[in-house]
Amino acid sequence: MIANADALLKPLTIKGLTIRNRVMSTSHAPSYGKDGKPQERYQLYHEEKAKGGIGLTMFGGSSSVSVDSPAAPWNQISVADDSVVPFFREFSGRIHRHGAKLMIQLTHMGRRTKWDTEHWLPVKSPSVTREPASRAMAKALEQEEIDRIVADFAAAAKRCQEGGLDGCEISAAHGHLVDQFWSPHSNKRSDKYGGSLDNRMRFGIEVLTAMRAAVGDDFVIGIRMSGDEMLKGGLSHEDCVAIAADYAGRGLVDFLNIMGGQARDHIAHAVSLPNMSFPVAPFLALPSAIKREVDVPIFHAQRVTDLATGARAVAEGHVDMIAMTRAHIADPHLVKKLSEGRADDIRQCVGAGYCIDRIYVGGDALCIQNAATGREATMPHVIKKAAATKTAVVIGGGVGGLEAARVLAERGHQVTLFEKSDRLGGQVNLASKATWREALSGIPRWLTGQVQKLGVDIRLNTEANEAEIAALAPDIVIVATGGLPQKGEASGFDHAVTTWDVLEGRSEPSGSVLLYDEIGGHNAASTAEHLAKKGCLVEIVTHDRMIGEEIGPTNQPVHLRELYKLGVLMTPNAELIEIYPEGNRLIAALRNTMTDAEEERVVDSVVVDYGTQPVDGLHFKLKDKAKNKGLTDLKALIDGRPQPFETNGAAPRGEGRAGGYTLYRIGDAVAGRNIHAAIYDALRLCKDL
Amino acid sequence: MTATFLPWIVVLMIAVAGVQIGRRLRLWRRGQPAPVDWLGGLRALPKRYLVDVHHVVERDRAAAKMHVPLAGGLVAACGFLLIGLVTGLTAWRFFWALVTLAFLAMTAGALLEIRRRYPRRLARLSGGSWQTFPFALIAFAIASGLSALFATFGNALPALELLTLILAAVGGVALAATAAEGPMRHALAGATHLVVHPRPQRFGGGRSTELKPLDLDAEKLGTETPADFAWNRLVAFDACVQCGRCEAACPAFAAGQPLSPKHLIADLAAASAGGERPPYHGNPYPNARPVGGRIGLHAPIVSAEGVIHPDTLWSCTTCRACVEECPMMIEHVDTIIDLRRFQTQERGAIPLKAEEPLANFRGCDEPNGRVLAERTDFAAGLKLPVIAAGGQTDVLLWLGQAAFDLRGQRTLTALIRILTAAKVDIAVLGADERDCGDLARRLGDEATFQRLASANVAALASVRFRRILTADPHALHVLRNEYPAFGGTYEVVHHTAFLAELAAAGRIPLSPLAGRSITYHDPCYLGRYNGEVEAPRRLLDALGLERHEMARSGKRAMCCGGGGGAPVADIPGDTRIPDLRMAQAAETGAKTVAVACPQCAAMLEGVTGERPVVKDVAELFLEAIEAAAMRPAEAVRALEVEPA
Repeated sequence: MIANADALLKPLTIKGLTIRNRVMSTSHAPSYGKDGKPQERYQLYHEEKAKGGIGLTMFGGSSSVSVDSPAAPWNQISVADDSVVPFFREFSGRIHRHGAKLMIQLTHMGRRTKWDTEHWLPVKSPSVTREPASRAMAKALEQEEIDRIVADFAAAAKRCQEGGLDGCEISAAHGHLVDQFWSPHSNKRSDKYGGSLDNRMRFGIEVLTAMRAAVGDDFVIGIRMSGDEMLKGGLSHEDCVAIAADYAGRGLVDFLNIMGGQARDHIAHAVSLPNMSFPVAPFLALPSAIKREVDVPIFHAQRVTDLATGARAVAEGHVDMIAMTRAHIADPHLVKKLSEGRADDIRQCVGAGYCIDRIYVGGDALCIQNAATGREATMPHVIKKAAATKTAVVIGGGVGGLEAARVLAERGHQVTLFEKSDRLGGQVNLASKATWREALSGIPRWLTGQVQKLGVDIRLNTEANEAEIAALAPDIVIVATGGLPQKGEASGFDHAVTTWDVLEGRSEPSGSVLLYDEIGGHNAASTAEHLAKKGCLVEIVTHDRMIGEEIGPTNQPVHLRELYKLGVLMTPNAELIEIYPEGNRLIAALRNTMTDAEEERVVDSVVVDYGTQPVDGLHFKLKDKAKNKGLTDLKALIDGRPQPFETNGAAPRGEGRAGGYTLYRIGDAVAGRNIHAAIYDALRLCKDL
Repeated sequence: MTATFLPWIVVLMIAVAGVQIGRRLRLWRRGQPAPVDWLGGLRALPKRYLVDVHHVVERDRAAAKMHVPLAGGLVAACGFLLIGLVTGLTAWRFFWALVTLAFLAMTAGALLEIRRRYPRRLARLSGGSWQTFPFALIAFAIASGLSALFATFGNALPALELLTLILAAVGGVALAATAAEGPMRHALAGATHLVVHPRPQRFGGGRSTELKPLDLDAEKLGTETPADFAWNRLVAFDACVQCGRCEAACPAFAAGQPLSPKHLIADLAAASAGGERPPYHGNPYPNARPVGGRIGLHAPIVSAEGVIHPDTLWSCTTCRACVEECPMMIEHVDTIIDLRRFQTQERGAIPLKAEEPLANFRGCDEPNGRVLAERTDFAAGLKLPVIAAGGQTDVLLWLGQAAFDLRGQRTLTALIRILTAAKVDIAVLGADERDCGDLARRLGDEATFQRLASANVAALASVRFRRILTADPHALHVLRNEYPAFGGTYEVVHHTAFLAELAAAGRIPLSPLAGRSITYHDPCYLGRYNGEVEAPRRLLDALGLERHEMARSGKRAMCCGGGGGAPVADIPGDTRIPDLRMAQAAETGAKTVAVACPQCAAMLEGVTGERPVVKDVAELFLEAIEAAAMRPAEAVRALEVEPA
């Protein structure tokens, strides 16, 4: 039981609306929208949180009110016409059934969007400016356009009300149109909307006034805004407090949803969505300060990953509602587990930012560690018991093997887990050794706790072999033996060590280090940072167009910031072609991938990252005797049906065994990928075994 | 010779016993006045003794086999002899054959009693004079029996007859002499106790478990000295036969806390006499706290100088297991509460951790210092109407203390969900529901209890409802049995009974929770206090659960340790009561302990380590509803069940 749990579980009444507890999820764009509507996938994703006990779930981050604020980027929702209302009705019914409340965020993105999407309309802003992050040159709004957008906001609010939503907020954060008017950085107007703060606040006042007129007094309307843009020439903390106090004082808003920072460029964006390099609740002081100036409830999100922190924030009076948005992506049953006294079972967000990073590169939001999130139609958050108990062996205690063991044990099977090393967690243990990536260790920590609790027979320091597996007479064998690093094909590669060697301490380079990265992930970037912090002079070289090209936009800027600060030399567009010794040093030959020009570096060490090769020896030894020849039936896997040869749910125990075992390979033992892939491999296979 | 003397020996015994018990009688008269229906009591005595007492004695078959011939033989033989003396039947040989048989029966009983004590005494029995007592019995029985035998066959061996008569006289007088301070006292005081019992309603199948209101205007609140007890309570202490059944049933004793109900009653009996503290030959209080041992009719009982250490007093969970087991119908819990009332109200001498809840009661009408309006906070996402003054509902849901506690909220949430699904018309009092006062009353704070009771009765009078439903047996007991004294008489139903009704009515589709093994832990305040042991079991059976009974169940179930303010008194022992109870539950092999009380849930769930899971019956009921409500698309996997 956490301290101050009572504070979290106390209802909050805003106007006539009673929210059952103080835990919420803020509006965000998981990219689940379809045709601009929140359809089944979107609704199920939020319904899971409602089932899980959340008080208020807000959806539709940046839902657009106007046609010139397109909904297409990140598959958002358009509230610009009436066709969305039936979806809202279905959605709100689904959430209310579980006792939770549902709100949406409405916005006009202004210049913070793209013009080359569904309607090919130029982006709009108070003035002709360009936001570095969204890269579009804006058209300055004319008075008639302002009036039209104000009316669009009002019409959208009315649609929310008609759709049975419990309220809405407008976004005036992250550089949307309302705060583009507020910020002198983007508002260069000289009319009644520009100049003084009073003038800059005018547009938002007109929007909120029109919305209120459209929906009446009872409908809850709030605003999401920054408490400090932390930007030279932007809105200061004092400006933000003044705006909040003014809007609240006018009775325009029923709640204030305060965040810190802004998102005009890559690093600002990364800071506004703090990843694991930040402490928890880094901006809690901002809502706390504003709460002292207003008498409407204050909401706040930003890396509140654990209930204890959330409870403290509420109990100490910094905020009225604590938003744990990414925490719910990791575990939508957070509040339920708290109130059931199962806080230890909460899968805590580690702050990897995998969810949000995916949407900025055109993907859908997925959780690095919970493969069921966003896949509620097919993947269970609560694993159902199988009718027949089987004996299962899982080989490899990395996160894939752990997830397989967890799911199989939840199914009621008897599971034995072999792990060659003395510790569960596999490659994640390695990754978490590199500087701020330490929080990744939370992923295997939770999985380990669960498999222990479920009574999995965990055999550490034990390399599984055929005889030992046969002795267990298993029905199911899962090979999750992971991968091992390779040194690539450059001539003289033996002179190199891998990033694994460095992080595991087998190699301790000093002096000058050339780190060659063929993968573009966190591995090389964080190893470079690790080496530089140990005093090495590091040059990171990559084949890609930039360093850490595969790393998402809330993480890559943090890597770059740290590498710059540490003086790491970054050399993109170069390939490592040869390594050879000269004296007691090494020569690394590089080829510029654009010009083919070659150059050399004289260094003390060469460290490489070429990803992993599967460890599959045992798999091939077991394959021939397996009923399914070690092959996963992909169609059955995708359809969520039991695998062939599996007698799940029908055959009594032992019948499967009579015919031997089935064998499956998951995670990096198949092909080197990432944490989510290994966990999803395990979940979607094992849930039907 | 026998015909002449043996009846007179009985008369002599009665005279000696009379003198002896007369000494106690004078003591009893020093107690406080109490209303007693002498005539009714006397009329009811045979039935009380032969039915009610026997019903308790019989639970221990071996004891019954011993006591029936022993006491029966003694009473019959003496009775015959007195009749013979009056009627002249002593001249008839057949009469003597009957007397012989009666003494034979008594001899057999005495032999069985010896068997209980030799070679090794049952742990719960007392030694000392109790250990030698059966020899006096058997000496009297054999000697008198032989005398009667001689009389049956004529005066064949006069010398021997004289010897047996002398022996009979010695044995008989020795027996009678113990009527004041020794074992025979139990018979005389016990019979008197049955006549003047402070709770006559409990006889003849009745039940009387409510605490009686204390006159708050009295000069002294509660009991300080033996003289402060009602006189018939003093009789009760003297009735104790030190059989130790109470001790064997006492959860505090089992956990090594310094309480033995037997020892306590013996101490109280001794305390009233004054003078030297007589030795006690039973088990000591576990981890006994040292006391001065000063006794006397006007000496404070509970203190470090007195006979009973405060820790003994505060170890009690008020579970009534001792009362349930006592063949002498002694009301231990009443006694403990009387003593606590003085400690709390006159001396403020309460356990450290009990100060806070009692202070909170004064400020907040609630022991945890919470705002009453917060009682419905947990239900914010549920359909739970709050009834306003003048409002009406069919069922008034009494939420109780559980509403402030995470664990309790889970049960209440399940219950509210069920009621909503069953379309039951429910409402709660909201901020008008004050704590029922159970904890305050059991901690001896009668003034707070009475204040809360009056306030709740007034609040309940302001709304209209058919009956009150609660998931808290403590609230149930107080509302049902203790509020009538404050002008509130209600039909109060426990959720186990209510849900059993719902299940029987078939108003909600239930899917059997087949394959789940459970054991049901009876809450003391539901089972022993209110006799409700069937409905919960009917309900669990209706849910298709595989029910395993613990060795101690129903009205003889062991307490979880959560009642009577024991958790806040927190008197340390060797182990914890819930640990013991959980071990008993685990012994059944059941994977789930079904509970029906928020205290039990909290106490049992607090047990660490590997153990069965704890589920309130409402939670299990909801699971059965949810299983039945499984959508058709999921019915394909009907064989699969959600994990517990």
